[in-house]
Amino acid sequence: MEFFNLKVFRYDPTKDEKPYYQTYRLPVEKGMTVLAALFKAKEEQDPTISFRYNCRAAICGSCAMKINGHGTLACKEQVTKILDKYNTDTIVVEPIGNVKPLKDLIFDFDYLLEKFKKVKPWFIPKAPPPPDGTEYRQSPYEHHKIDFASDCILCASCVSECNALKANDEYLSPFVLAKAYRFAADSRDGAKRERLEAVLDHLNLEWCVRCWQCTTNCPKEVQPYENIIRLRIMAAEEGFKTPGERHAEIFEEDIKERGLLNEMLLPIRQEGVIGALKRAPFGIKMLFKGKANIADFFGGHKVKRHDEVVKIYEKAKEKGKQVQIRIPQILGVVYEDKRKTRKRANFLDKEGGNQ
Amino acid sequence: MSQLKYAFYTGCSAKGVAPELYKSTYLVAEKLGMELIELEAATCCGAGAVQEKDEFLSLTINARNLALAEELGLDLLTICNTCTVMLRETKFKLDNDPDLKAAVNEVLAEAGLEYKGTSEVTHFLWEVIDAVGLDKIREMVVRPLKDFNIAPFYGCHIIRPVYLIGYEDPDNPKSIEMLIEALGGNPKDHEARLACCGFHSFWSAEEEVTLRLTAMDTKAAKEEKADFMVTPCPLCHTQLDAMQEEAEEKIGVNINMPILHLPQMIGLALGMNPKDLGLHKHIVPTDEIIKKITASA
Repeated sequence: MEFFNLKVFRYDPTKDEKPYYQTYRLPVEKGMTVLAALFKAKEEQDPTISFRYNCRAAICGSCAMKINGHGTLACKEQVTKILDKYNTDTIVVEPIGNVKPLKDLIFDFDYLLEKFKKVKPWFIPKAPPPPDGTEYRQSPYEHHKIDFASDCILCASCVSECNALKANDEYLSPFVLAKAYRFAADSRDGAKRERLEAVLDHLNLEWCVRCWQCTTNCPKEVQPYENIIRLRIMAAEEGFKTPGERHAEIFEEDIKERGLLNEMLLPIRQEGVIGALKRAPFGIKMLFKGKANIADFFGGHKVKRHDEVVKIYEKAKEKGKQVQIRIPQILGVVYEDKRKTRKRANFLDKEGGNQ
Repeated sequence: MSQLKYAFYTGCSAKGVAPELYKSTYLVAEKLGMELIELEAATCCGAGAVQEKDEFLSLTINARNLALAEELGLDLLTICNTCTVMLRETKFKLDNDPDLKAAVNEVLAEAGLEYKGTSEVTHFLWEVIDAVGLDKIREMVVRPLKDFNIAPFYGCHIIRPVYLIGYEDPDNPKSIEMLIEALGGNPKDHEARLACCGFHSFWSAEEEVTLRLTAMDTKAAKEEKADFMVTPCPLCHTQLDAMQEEAEEKIGVNINMPILHLPQMIGLALGMNPKDLGLHKHIVPTDEIIKKITASA
């Protein structure tokens, strides 16, 4: 392929009623990044395109944008690889999703900053530094717990396709929760409970739908998903009672008592009798369609060799206290895509595809 | 034939709210020459819930599930996205951390078990494509789904995260589309193709998040004029099918989008009876699909 199309989201609220797309034809050059392509279009064809950038080396996080539908850094993605990945001749660049566009590819970071402030993203020392003049100390494992979370460059790639934020703009968003975890999990930090209370306000921490999109988008392997899950573990350990914690308790009980989850009795155990009554019409609907396992209403059956499960459960509860689980290193874990045969139909071509 | 033999991990849903998935999986697997040995001693995978209260417990419980497949010397086959990712997460963490693996095996030894790491965790969709093969599927189709516009709904945990799943590009997966095409159907692209159904925050954010996502997803398929959506995950299915009415109320729009399990769709193209496949068990009526498919025969 000699040329490709760079299709740019254009919007200037001072004169445009609504966003539109403009396409620039550019030569395919080996090693050219999407950011470099934007420069080329701006320098040679249209000086009015607006976008943020700075370091050009995936360190500053300024050039985050949506490339063919996914939030990432424009300086990190190569043109040839994107064309190959989507089996296309067109690269579509749009501002990060779930946030208001300000002008062309520039989005409203202030909106995210307001969320960010809520979790007090700074160090609040537990105690004054050691009197002998040395620094705050922590063990290698204590450092490991916050190692990945500390790498966040606030680029907002994780925000772009966050499903919880898409559903509800009151959600704190992945990088904010990752930052809350980064400090709450720091052995030197003294505001753990305060931080947990902030993220549990309106149960925000529990709104995460576990879709793993943030970790998939993150250009720095911060793994916001892992951080959110660990924040939930910390909240449970600190004794915060939430629906999620209750849900986990039911799962644990069922694994211990019978092996499989008893879905029929789940509502009443989750929400109590009053709460479950609200679900009665739903239950009747399921029952009517033959989607309910009647035996489960009376406790249901156990999986085979259930005695093993009981033994493992008891021992794991005891052993678990001594085990130091590590957050996996995911840098360099790659997949092999053997199926590059199908061309992606392009719903992105629709007007206002970003909204 | 016998080489397509798997340790079959049903998961809780197929044994609970989605009996039609359980039945249609067996019917289709048999037709495709896949032998499923059900792991009747397997427990729930924890579904992410146990994982966020006691991670070590969830790892040991799933290590036992994996050890059960290893006992049979077979790969473990799932029919649920969340089971897939939870079991693969356990495998990934244990295989990459010898200390953790030793600690888990110390616990498993209480029950005379050992996790070795010899069985792979795979999903029905992947095996249909890789082990059975799309060419064979194409040959076996007796009722091509040519009259159907089908909206794939992957469900998060069969594409993300890439370090655990790694089967295809999480930004641009194609497996379900390829399967639909092999069955003679028309895959319909839509905005919610890679989105989340909201299932996992149901008990904590039903109003705030879950039902809103369910509404967006089904509406996206409707806008592309899909005849039905298909998903490889029973949790997505329960959410999109059984909770669709509640989601409709939330946005005040009538959607009425039928949702099919992956094996049901394959079964229809292979000429199986819609009733045997359990199409009548869905909450959103599938009458139109049944009418069309019987007319095309």
